[in-house]
Amino acid sequence: MTAAADATGPVPGHSPASVPPLTDDQVAVVALAGLETLGHRRIRLLCAHYPGPAAAARGIVAGTARAVLAPTFGTAHAHLLDPCCARWSRDLDLAATRSTLEQRAARVWLGNSPGFPVTEPLPDLPVALVAEGARADALDRPRVAIVGTRTATPHGLADAHDLAATLAAAGVTVVSGLALGIDGAAHAGVVAVGGTTIGVVATGLDVEYPRRHRRLYADVRAHGLVLGETGYGVGPTPWRFPIRNRIIAALADVVVVVEATRTGGARITAEHALRYDRAVFAVPGSRRNPAAAGTNALIADGAHPLTDWDEVLLALGMTPGARRTPPLRPVPDPVGRAVLAALGGEPASPEQLAARTRLDPETVALALTTLTRTGWITMHQGVVWPS
Amino acid sequence: MLASVASATLLGVDGQPVTVEVHVSNGLPSYTVVGLPDTAIRESRERVRAAILSAGLEWPQRRITVNLAPGGVRKHGAGLDLAVALGILVATETLPPEAVRRTAALGELGLDGTVRPVPGTIALVDTLARAGVDRVVVPTGNAAEAALVASVCVRAAGDLASLCTCLADDVDWPDWPAPVAGPDGAGDPGAPPDDDEVDLAEVRGLAWARRALETAAAGGHHLLLAGPPGAGKTMLARRLPTILPELTPTDALAVTRIHSAAGRAPVGGLATRRPFRSPHHSVSVAALIGGGSSRVTPGEVTLAHRGALFLDELGEFPPSALEALRQPLEERVVRISRQADALTFPADFQLVACTNPCPCGLGPPWCTCTDAQRARYRRRLSAPLLDRFDLRVAVQPPEPGAPPGESSAVVRERVQAAVARQHARYCDHPFARNAHVPARALAELVPLSPDATDAWLGESDLRRLTGRGAARIHRVARTLADLDDTPEIGAAHVALASMLREDVP
Repeated sequence: MTAAADATGPVPGHSPASVPPLTDDQVAVVALAGLETLGHRRIRLLCAHYPGPAAAARGIVAGTARAVLAPTFGTAHAHLLDPCCARWSRDLDLAATRSTLEQRAARVWLGNSPGFPVTEPLPDLPVALVAEGARADALDRPRVAIVGTRTATPHGLADAHDLAATLAAAGVTVVSGLALGIDGAAHAGVVAVGGTTIGVVATGLDVEYPRRHRRLYADVRAHGLVLGETGYGVGPTPWRFPIRNRIIAALADVVVVVEATRTGGARITAEHALRYDRAVFAVPGSRRNPAAAGTNALIADGAHPLTDWDEVLLALGMTPGARRTPPLRPVPDPVGRAVLAALGGEPASPEQLAARTRLDPETVALALTTLTRTGWITMHQGVVWPS
Repeated sequence: MLASVASATLLGVDGQPVTVEVHVSNGLPSYTVVGLPDTAIRESRERVRAAILSAGLEWPQRRITVNLAPGGVRKHGAGLDLAVALGILVATETLPPEAVRRTAALGELGLDGTVRPVPGTIALVDTLARAGVDRVVVPTGNAAEAALVASVCVRAAGDLASLCTCLADDVDWPDWPAPVAGPDGAGDPGAPPDDDEVDLAEVRGLAWARRALETAAAGGHHLLLAGPPGAGKTMLARRLPTILPELTPTDALAVTRIHSAAGRAPVGGLATRRPFRSPHHSVSVAALIGGGSSRVTPGEVTLAHRGALFLDELGEFPPSALEALRQPLEERVVRISRQADALTFPADFQLVACTNPCPCGLGPPWCTCTDAQRARYRRRLSAPLLDRFDLRVAVQPPEPGAPPGESSAVVRERVQAAVARQHARYCDHPFARNAHVPARALAELVPLSPDATDAWLGESDLRRLTGRGAARIHRVARTLADLDDTPEIGAAHVALASMLREDVP
């Protein structure tokens, strides 16, 4: 299904003139990728059988693709073959796809063409990538993926933001998945310093998911590219998200996992990165933090523990720039120092701090207020977080 | 032959004077009641007739018409039985008309002629006293309660036969038994929900939540406790009645009046403890706020007047019920309008609520819920409702081996002293508690020290507080200073007040 009805016009931030004219193959591969249940493996199979994507599209319409795709259905799903072929043949609309692509000034790279962002021959790569956005040059820079859980702690979000900003300021393109949590914080960190970033999405490029990131999508388009392997009109489908993660791993030279739960998408990205022979960094966290269980497990499995952002630049073969000087904060008074010592670098409730310091609530409250104002700690939902 | 006897019926928690007119004339024997009676009053014929016959008096085999004036007001309950019986006895000249002059009668009749207690006696007697009645005859069981109204002569009636004798001669009125409180004040609205005597000393750790509870009790502030299951929120909240300040005599009368009207009169006359109501979260809007279709009855917010309303698992309450709380929380009265009546119920209660911070219950810092789950959970509690809590505290489970806290008696002493200081400060004003000081009077009545002003402005800036939020911190700071017995609010009080109003859940 194509998004022929999408009439939002060219995406603001880049002009259609900068996009080279589209070949039939490019249009066909995007149209194929927009068909429901026609995943990247089936498309690769079709493209290998026919001389090219355009011929594969003709095969779908003519019905000759049925024999090619039959093995992918196996015996268990053999009864679905005919309905699927009929639907694909009905839904395939090359003209509408071409007009959408032109209208939105999208770029399409075929897997075998010289401009494809991934140059090494890696297994399972997408047949083609579609991208929209103002900064096609984002792909020319060193690329670092920053990924992590959607249920991040304030520490994780701050780390992702800070790391992304540091890398972006050093001229690195930050690749992430535009999801809630760590992904969003990483993109936002790049946008804050005006760097370049790539958001790899699992939906069609005309779908903004999650909707809460609507503004972030616009920011990422303006500061880089929104990129995916899926055709227009494809909404959020659970199975596409883990598959999308392999593109993040493939695009990146280094993958950094900031916070990950034991069984999250970030772990999948890290596994793809190992398969693709990318350097994997993980930010260590507290044993008590379920959002750090995945990163700690990665470190146990051999990922580099990342404690200094400059190590990422060194891994890219870049020289760290001037070391950032930490912001100067006024030295806290003895009570403040006692409270910070009781905090021990981990989050705690004011009550726990009062119990550990054996001070009365008023004194602790006053100290916490002063520490918040001077930037030593932040308060979030009744919990004290060290900065 | 015509007779009229004064009586009263309940309208909400107040009385409405009713004149019972009885007309007995020649004609076919009949008995008609007019003047918007309810079923209980229609059925009074059988009770009144049997009671008069049981008393050894004569039932007229004539045409009897009973009119309840004013005719436009609905009357409820069996409390008019006695007035009807006396009216019939006067109309048939069994009793002289002087016997019931400037006298009102309240009471339900038994078939054997006994006079049974009625709900709302105190409100009814008060109304009758204001209506210019000199003497009120009430059932013996209600006499102690009725005597709380000082401006009227209360007479007790045990049964119809002896009442007739007393009325005829106006002598030999029976005494009523002295009020007897049940064991541990049973039947008192403030009695703990379960019979076990509880004490704050049983709560280990939770220093901040305890501090918040004490502050709430002292200043009359609304309190929200958010924390994981098992942290001790409910345990703590259930011990609030043990530290609430004593009822002032006026408040005790108001509380007794409401609970009597609701049919839950304290056994021994006056209520001695502040009410503590804890409705289940399946409560309906009408049960919480008050209402009802044929007869408007007070809801939980009114029964909690001058006491506390405890809502456990706040997020599980129907959103409509919670939103309906907003107006009584702000105005401290409930206005119920129905087709027939528009009533105002007092609802000056203190709201204490418990909630989990999120679906997983763990809360920050180690919550495993997604943002969307948390947001959905938080949407159940609207921001305007959360804004009305002066104290919002995240309760963390106590660390093992936490020492037991102070006992209720010690805390209550501090609370009582803080309340006394507030009464002294606000003696010239219509409010008596820090939580009730209007925002415009704060600067004048509750001045901040220069240090505290800096801290207060800093907090407002840092947390981007609204004017209302800043005013709430100001009030709580005053209560904290009252508990410390310091005349001036310090910076530490402001800091703690701000910390006790966290953005939870």
